[in-house]
Amino acid sequence: MSTRKPNDFKSELKPIWCPGCGDFGVLASLYRSMADLDLDPSQTVIVSGIGCSSRLPHFASTYGIHTLHGRPLPVAMGVKLANPELTVIAVGGDGDGFAIGAGHFPHAARRNVDITYLVMDNEIYGLTKGQASPTSLYEQKAPSTPFGNPEDPLNPLALAISAGASFVARGASFNTKALTELITQAIEHKGFSYIDAMSPCTTFNNTQESWKDAVTDVAPEHDVTDRVQAFDLALRGGFALGILYRQERLSQTERYKAILEKAKPSDVDTMLDGFNARKGAAIGKPA
Amino acid sequence: MSARHSVVVRLAGESGEGVISSGDILTQAAARGGYYTQTFRTFPAEIKGGPCMYQFRLSDEPIWSHGKDVDLLVCFNQEAWDLNWDSLGPEGSILYDVTEVTIPDEYLPRARPVRMEELAKEIGGSLRAKNMVAVGAVTGVISFDTTPIEELVLRRYAHKEGVADANIAALHAGADEAADLKGRYPLVAPVEVEEDRMLISGNQAIAVGAIAAGVDYFAGYPITPASDILEWLSVRLPQTGGLTIQCEDEIASLASVVGASYAGAKAMTATSGPGLSLMGELIGYAGTAEIPVVIVDAQRGGPSTGLPTKTEQSDLNQALYGSHGDAPRVVIAPVSVEDCFFATIDAFNYAEQYQLPVILLTDQGLATRLEVIHRPDTSQIELTPRKTSKGVARDEYKRYEYTPDHVSPMGIPGEPNGMYVATGIEHDEYGHPAYTPEIHLGMGHKRWDKLEPLKTTGRQAAHGDAHPTDVAFIGFGSTFGPVREAIDRLLEQGLSVGSFYPRILMPFPADKVIDFVKDAKRVVVPEVNFTGQLARLIKAETGIELESVAKCDGLPFTAEAIMDLVTQEVAA
Repeated sequence: MSTRKPNDFKSELKPIWCPGCGDFGVLASLYRSMADLDLDPSQTVIVSGIGCSSRLPHFASTYGIHTLHGRPLPVAMGVKLANPELTVIAVGGDGDGFAIGAGHFPHAARRNVDITYLVMDNEIYGLTKGQASPTSLYEQKAPSTPFGNPEDPLNPLALAISAGASFVARGASFNTKALTELITQAIEHKGFSYIDAMSPCTTFNNTQESWKDAVTDVAPEHDVTDRVQAFDLALRGGFALGILYRQERLSQTERYKAILEKAKPSDVDTMLDGFNARKGAAIGKPA
Repeated sequence: MSARHSVVVRLAGESGEGVISSGDILTQAAARGGYYTQTFRTFPAEIKGGPCMYQFRLSDEPIWSHGKDVDLLVCFNQEAWDLNWDSLGPEGSILYDVTEVTIPDEYLPRARPVRMEELAKEIGGSLRAKNMVAVGAVTGVISFDTTPIEELVLRRYAHKEGVADANIAALHAGADEAADLKGRYPLVAPVEVEEDRMLISGNQAIAVGAIAAGVDYFAGYPITPASDILEWLSVRLPQTGGLTIQCEDEIASLASVVGASYAGAKAMTATSGPGLSLMGELIGYAGTAEIPVVIVDAQRGGPSTGLPTKTEQSDLNQALYGSHGDAPRVVIAPVSVEDCFFATIDAFNYAEQYQLPVILLTDQGLATRLEVIHRPDTSQIELTPRKTSKGVARDEYKRYEYTPDHVSPMGIPGEPNGMYVATGIEHDEYGHPAYTPEIHLGMGHKRWDKLEPLKTTGRQAAHGDAHPTDVAFIGFGSTFGPVREAIDRLLEQGLSVGSFYPRILMPFPADKVIDFVKDAKRVVVPEVNFTGQLARLIKAETGIELESVAKCDGLPFTAEAIMDLVTQEVAA
């Protein structure tokens, strides 16, 4: 039974988001999920990039690392590999994760880095005042796409499934109860958990009402262990909320643990002995 | 012919012909036999084909450069001759493959054909043994014991039935070639050979130095000429309980190093110029968020893809200034293979002490050359611990607290009282985003003032006269060796010469430089780049008059070239 309350995870800083911003709902869900899981704040690290949503670590009373635009995933990986005991949650927006940081996403997924990645997807760049993002719709008008967006949007869920994420889900900021449950399951999952949290930007791309109308639940008969079904749901399933895919597979942490167990213990003096010129140092080979 | 103290051998051929492995074997055998050696190699940026060259110098006495005039040039093919004939010393001899190479008439008196391909096929059983014939021919001419080579061959091919025997047969066959040159370069035998000698490259010295410094985490992306460090630590770091990972790019490498260090690990990455460019933004981040990281830059020829397999010292500006804003860092340039070991330990100590990025600058020449050094004394190593939030009361904890030494206690996840948010945004003492003029100025001071002590306490390198009156040399990194050798010869000639090598280039020890040159008639700054980056730095920091000797041909300086600078006046 958890002794912690969601409020215990609030920092003394108040969110600087616009009134009505979806990120409030995501943050509230995260507080509640951390409380439900009874996470020790000093053993929890929230990692973010740059953007409106990436300010989130400042609003939580855990350890946090507010990194560079697009870089939360490799930073989070370093944190987790250095100390596997920590609970590591990466957060950010769609621009941070799928434009500038897109190069890191498939690698975090295929490595099955044991972290949770929560993307607040508003299909727009909010902090820079409304330009099109990688998830903006075709023909969407924005300051940088005055003739309508000539590009098709990226599908983060399909990308996550194809790249090897072992937990893939969609939630929505306006459905905090379900989102809390998804975050909880994602944190509990061993391996790379990706949650696409629909989180409307009420200032520059107010999709709140249309999204509320569009969302459905993932059908109860959907088999979350079937990757092809999950991929189909990601591509053709509209805005189904819930878990699309879940796979049990060794996490990066477990794989490196196995490497450490295989390595024959040594020390610097033994290694220096290996270079002894008189005994025939093995050139070029770390034998 | 009287015995000599030093012989320079150059092997040249096409990539894939075994030129590099021949050089390695000869170097290893020489080191085993008690000789000091230093090597220099160039190879093409392609895997198969293209010219490659391996030069090694051996001596019974300590040596500081790879030598200029080649005593024995071994040509595996025609191109090897065409590209390398001008490296021959006035007395130098030539060994060449009889079926592949035509030597001009005027060189024929000192050239001897070797049946490299013929004997390889006939006795070695395969064209692949060509390099062993060449190695044998070299041992015949400079007369050193082939026993260590045989042992090495046996060890290298122990798992392949018959291959070792065939190679040894090819080696012996080669030794009988060029019979009339036998013993042409008799070497003074080493007198005292200490048991603590090691044969090691700059990259290896850095990797094992990192282990000595207690590295926990290494992340890297393959890039010439730094990949050895990634490969070596992939094997070795897990043996000490640490972890090495190959990332998707250099940005991810440094980002994960930042994350690991944030979590309390001693963390490092290694790259070359192009990778350092990609890391630029994160260097500013680590400086601002005050997270210790070590970044090795094994410089290669630039700009852009440049000369990936050749040497240059042209990343100095990028190491000093790369990244936007006034981004603090320490830049340290080891001056020898031995120093690569100690500079790596220094780099970790400075990173941990000052909580910022430390860039360790080497270059292709230093990174890949093999050198005989004495085993570093690990019992003398002192490691600097990071100042952490341990023992600080929670309600008093400020991550970026202003302190007398400008270094603040770092909270490490897991510590109950150290919770904070690391950030690259300007922040107050708590790490909360804050943008007032007072805070930006205060934090700017904090980020830079903490480095001031290093200007006086940092260990620098020097050789010769402490206050030379004739010529004062100032350089950085790998030019130290040839300059040192030149200084020794010039001192013997009665000149007052000396060198001062700031190992720590940021923060720059301007006062020490000004003091060093105070009596000098000439100040000469040799460096391997196009624009004279160090000379500009020295001028900016000290205002002293100097002669910039920027050489940019992808090759390291020789001691002879440095001597020439003294005997021939250089335009300022």
